Amino acid sequence: MIRFERVVKTYPGSTAPALDGVSVDVEKGEFVFLVGASGSGKSTALRLVLREARASSGRVYVAGKEINRLAGWKVPRLRRQIGTVFQDFRLLPSKTVAENVAFALEVIGTPRREIKRVVPGTLDLVGLSGLGDRMPEELSGGEQQRVAIARAFVNRPMILLADEPTGNLDPATSAEIMRLLEQINGTGTTVVMATHDHGIVDLMRKRVIELDSGRVVRDEASGAYGFQH
Amino acid sequence: MRYVFSNLGQGLRRNLSMHLAVILTLFVSLALVGAGVLVKRQADAAAEQWGNELQITAFLCREDDPVKRCLGAVDSAQKAAITKVVKNNPEVASFYFESQETAYQKAQKLFDPKLFQGDQPVLTPADFRESIWITLKNPDQFQGITSAVLGLDGVSSVKDQRDVVQPILSGMRVMQVASLGVAVFLVVAALMLVANTIRLAAFARRKEIAIMRLVGASGLYISLPFLLEALFTAIVGVALAGGALAAGMWFGVHDRLRDYIGFIPWIGLDDFLVALVIIAIVGPVVTLLPTLLLTRKYIKV
Ligand SMILES: Nc1ncnc2c1ncn2[C@@H]1O[C@H](COP(=O)(O)OP(=O)(O)O)[C@@H](O)[C@H]1O
Ligand SMILES: [Mg+2]
Repeated sequence: MIRFERVVKTYPGSTAPALDGVSVDVEKGEFVFLVGASGSGKSTALRLVLREARASSGRVYVAGKEINRLAGWKVPRLRRQIGTVFQDFRLLPSKTVAENVAFALEVIGTPRREIKRVVPGTLDLVGLSGLGDRMPEELSGGEQQRVAIARAFVNRPMILLADEPTGNLDPATSAEIMRLLEQINGTGTTVVMATHDHGIVDLMRKRVIELDSGRVVRDEASGAYGFQH
Repeated sequence: MRYVFSNLGQGLRRNLSMHLAVILTLFVSLALVGAGVLVKRQADAAAEQWGNELQITAFLCREDDPVKRCLGAVDSAQKAAITKVVKNNPEVASFYFESQETAYQKAQKLFDPKLFQGDQPVLTPADFRESIWITLKNPDQFQGITSAVLGLDGVSSVKDQRDVVQPILSGMRVMQVASLGVAVFLVVAALMLVANTIRLAAFARRKEIAIMRLVGASGLYISLPFLLEALFTAIVGVALAGGALAAGMWFGVHDRLRDYIGFIPWIGLDDFLVALVIIAIVGPVVTLLPTLLLTRKYIKV
């Protein structure tokens, strides 16, 4: 589903590469943790999958397509197959919960009837039944992250990328978010989650890919966060 | 689509003062562009009517010519002699004859139609003179040809129309250059205002734009609100400028000047339409071009 072949990414103006010869292969339906210290290149790897950035060399395949070579106008189509959530939720404060979720469908031209049908179901799925009319600021951090997950998943993407989704949440709430991501993974969606939350990684016992200064230093089928901790 | 249109109103209101600034600048600059076009067409029409700016006209004697030099209408021998002199003169680039009938038709466009109507019209072709229109090689060298032709039999008078025409024409050219010159400055100002408006709008909507990009909205979809806003301001600007030009033509040319200065063929509806088409092209280009370039930059997908 996602495949990196000797990927190097050097940001303009910096000498050390953010990713330095990364080769990994993530199968369809897998749940993968991307771990490593701050600045090790986790976010960069996710940005390459979204084509928010391009690899300096090497190849990035998503669903069998080499996306570095993808024409600019095809990038939106790629992104419609990928849901993304971030540490800071990135909800629109002027829209209600339901509107935030619906927005992701509206802007890709989904018919209104379809939106009306899909949004409540997705809110139920993420455990926000009845909260559709609330404003984001009225919700707890965990609930806001659920809205963000609903928005990322409402289009039923093949891939869900999560960049430190529990970074702003307490451990109990984080565990709930992890259960939700696991549930989404259970529907066949490939989930890649960047994190440096040891507790969660140790708890989940999923595949762990560890980066250090842009290099893969570990790739374990069902690992803990790291030996050194 | 609903999102796009609800955004148009929202975007216009949010940035009302900027949009007003764009519209007003666009209005004034387009009005000046249009005015420049109209003045140019006026000058062209006048220049054509009076002959090329470089032309000298030799009027030939007509029947009952009041000019003393004439002894009845010019005859063909005289005409041949005149032609020979003109043809052999080194100052002459080219020349052509204009018949009495042509002179009569030209006059019909200028004077009160009543003069040409009825069983006994005040003016008939016989009241006009046949003429030779001479284009000079060098506009400053006309003494030789003027005096040579003036001495010939059958020549009623020689008119160097540049004496009369030149000041009016150069006045019009100055107006044309001035209005277009100021218009260029204002168009540049409008371009910069549009660019600034977009920068502000893109900044105000940066969260929305980031999410649209993330979930895979197309570049066109994201920039559509900006393009619609640009189109809207252009349409308003063009409408205002067109209205101002129409008013200017109606009250200026139609009601006043035409009465005072009747000997020039004044510009009319078709000239106005040409000016309108030009500003209807310039206006949207001025707003859409920076919008297209900048949305690509700020909203790069
Ligand atoms: N837009 C950028 N421009 C320049 N350097 C960047 C940019 N984004 C990240 N970097 C650098 O690339 C390296 C990897 O960053 P990142 O992928 O964000 O790491 P992580 O997500 O693991 O903390 C860091 O050294 C960071 O400073
Ligand atoms: Mg990061």
